[in-house]
Amino acid sequence: MSGRELSATPSLAFWVALALYLIATIGLLTGFLRARPELSRQARLVAIAAFVCHGIDIGWRGVLSVHPAASVREALGFLAWIIAGGYLATSIKRRIDLAGAVLVPMVGVVLGAARLSPTGAPQDDLTLLGRIHISLATVGVALFGLAAALAFIYLLEERNLKRKRFDAASWKAPVESLAGLDAMAQRLVMAGFPLFTAAMVLGMIWTSQRKLGMARPEYAAATITWLCYAGLLGGRLGLGWRGRRAAWVTVAGFVAALLVLTIYFVRRAVGA
Amino acid sequence: MSAELFVVGLSWRTAPVAVREHLAFPEDELGHVLSDVRNAGGVAEAMLISTCNRVEVYGAAAPAEGARAVAEVERALLARRGSAPAEVRRALYEHVGAPAIDHVFRVAAALDSLVVGEAQILGQLKDAYARAHATGAAGPILGRCLERAWSAAKRVRTETAIAKGAANVSSVAVELAARVFGDLGGKQVLVIGAGKMSTLAARHLKTAGVAGLVVTNRSPERAAHLAAALGATARPWGELPELLAKADVVISSTGAREPILTTALMKKVAKARRWRPVVIVDIAVPRDADPAIGKEDGVYLFDIDDLERVVAANLAERGKAATAAGRIVDVEVAHFHAWLRAQKVVPTIRALRDHFGQVGAAEADKVIALLHKKELGPAERDAAIRRAIDLVIAKLLHHPQMALKADESEALAHAARTLFPLEVVAPGAHGDHGHDDDHGAGDAAPPADGHAAPAPISRPAAAR
Repeated sequence: MSGRELSATPSLAFWVALALYLIATIGLLTGFLRARPELSRQARLVAIAAFVCHGIDIGWRGVLSVHPAASVREALGFLAWIIAGGYLATSIKRRIDLAGAVLVPMVGVVLGAARLSPTGAPQDDLTLLGRIHISLATVGVALFGLAAALAFIYLLEERNLKRKRFDAASWKAPVESLAGLDAMAQRLVMAGFPLFTAAMVLGMIWTSQRKLGMARPEYAAATITWLCYAGLLGGRLGLGWRGRRAAWVTVAGFVAALLVLTIYFVRRAVGA
Repeated sequence: MSAELFVVGLSWRTAPVAVREHLAFPEDELGHVLSDVRNAGGVAEAMLISTCNRVEVYGAAAPAEGARAVAEVERALLARRGSAPAEVRRALYEHVGAPAIDHVFRVAAALDSLVVGEAQILGQLKDAYARAHATGAAGPILGRCLERAWSAAKRVRTETAIAKGAANVSSVAVELAARVFGDLGGKQVLVIGAGKMSTLAARHLKTAGVAGLVVTNRSPERAAHLAAALGATARPWGELPELLAKADVVISSTGAREPILTTALMKKVAKARRWRPVVIVDIAVPRDADPAIGKEDGVYLFDIDDLERVVAANLAERGKAATAAGRIVDVEVAHFHAWLRAQKVVPTIRALRDHFGQVGAAEADKVIALLHKKELGPAERDAAIRRAIDLVIAKLLHHPQMALKADESEALAHAARTLFPLEVVAPGAHGDHGHDDDHGAGDAAPPADGHAAPAPISRPAAAR
């Protein structure tokens, strides 16, 4: 891949998407905090428009041969798009306005970081195996991200219910039940785990092909991510884990996954 | 169909229960009272609603007859209660015209209810209207008014938070359980003790669709009695740990002086539950549940104070939603006023249509007869049809032209420009000074002198 391809200028669609994500964030936050479902609904429509623009930006970059699996930077933009789409699809039938207020700004930040950060040195050894590894890891982490957002809301709602805060926004606003959030988070982790596991295996093979060695911090963080979700699924299916405990592990696993992405991202950006 | 709506009655706002009960009518008396008020002087339509919170007559009277109808209805109502105390008379209120319409809409939207947003009033209004409609007491005006009021109430319920959240302590358990479980279908409820409040709460949960209801009590007889009343299963007191292990929602209301649901018991049960969440609603005073069990993972414990705080919070939210609901009601009331206003011109519109129809039909008959009578060539046939149309136009415009010319204030000219899509050109604007402003009208005028009114031609409405 050439340096020109890696440094494709952000498209107009990107800037529009970024602005719309910002507007949607304000709308979702205000709608939730003021318990105004109508405002949240309108903010979701704005988020859909942002999602479409985001998709156009990804498509436009694809036309320029800068596809989502071309680099960690591109993968981040794609990851943000999957998370936005996953949230919007889930919000059709579920009352997860607070998840939107958490996820939509996160999507905006990740997209901004992906497009506006330094390009770094081009990666010459990106084989097909490497691209499959990046694609699977991206989708897996996106699903973990959605699960973590739902787990975060679970923890917040559960805390309010335990502390009997009947004046809290999560009491006034129409929200998903604790059991509903828990079940959705479990399904997302179950869907993301096989993808992430496959990405881990392919990543190890790719690394051994490139003879980079295994002693890198991102590998350790990826292993922690995998262990978190493996333990979580084992606990859920074998020991009946659920609720608060499962939610904490889901969030912890995603934090580790974010750490992996951050290390990769910084490494590519500084060309290390 | 123009009419004046009116309201006569009293409600919790103007009368305490001690006064309301004097005027409240039992079910078997409602028909007679309705008949009395319908037959009262000046009343064209009427319906009667009698609930624990209000006794009201909604009616329609001919224009300017509203005040008389109100007085007559009041007399009819009080006549039914021969010795009604003065407090009843003082508590009665009357609304005529716009305030009456506004009142009906606000009652339907539950904005005038003791518990704002409560759902019962809509059903009570529908029953009252159905009764009045069945006896012929209610007619098209009340029918349309109620229909629009229900539509407004539906909008209020769906577009605002006016009906959100439980408004009484016994139904809060459902809301709390729904916060944890979402859908309550398939959930098991355990009722400990046989207090009145727990019975009510259990009934609400059953209505919400729980799968199973189990009752346990120290007294097996009382457990069996309550189980029979609730359609539940009675279980021995000794099985409490096993019952707790299976339950998703627990309602406890015993008279015990010491906690029954202790930390030790709940810890013992937790393993068997595999950390499944449980909602415990402790309505007893003194409390049946040790407050410490609420700290256990998956245990959501609420006492009577919590339930009351939930109700207070919900009612506060409903109060806030009432402002938005009021705006919706205002819009719907305005729509109804517009409809009512339109009813005043309906006879004029009908007469206009009849007149146009008669003129058109008469000329159509003439030209058809001519076409049947004579063998005309294509050009002559076209000319005959055009002439007939010209005649129709001339006859229809004759009177308006006369009136327009005679109207010095030009109000009719303005009305004509409003009623028809006219492009009025100022005299001389086209430079055609040789023609006066009668030129166009002259084309349409009757052939005799351009101004003579044609003889009216009558045809039965069925022929049009």
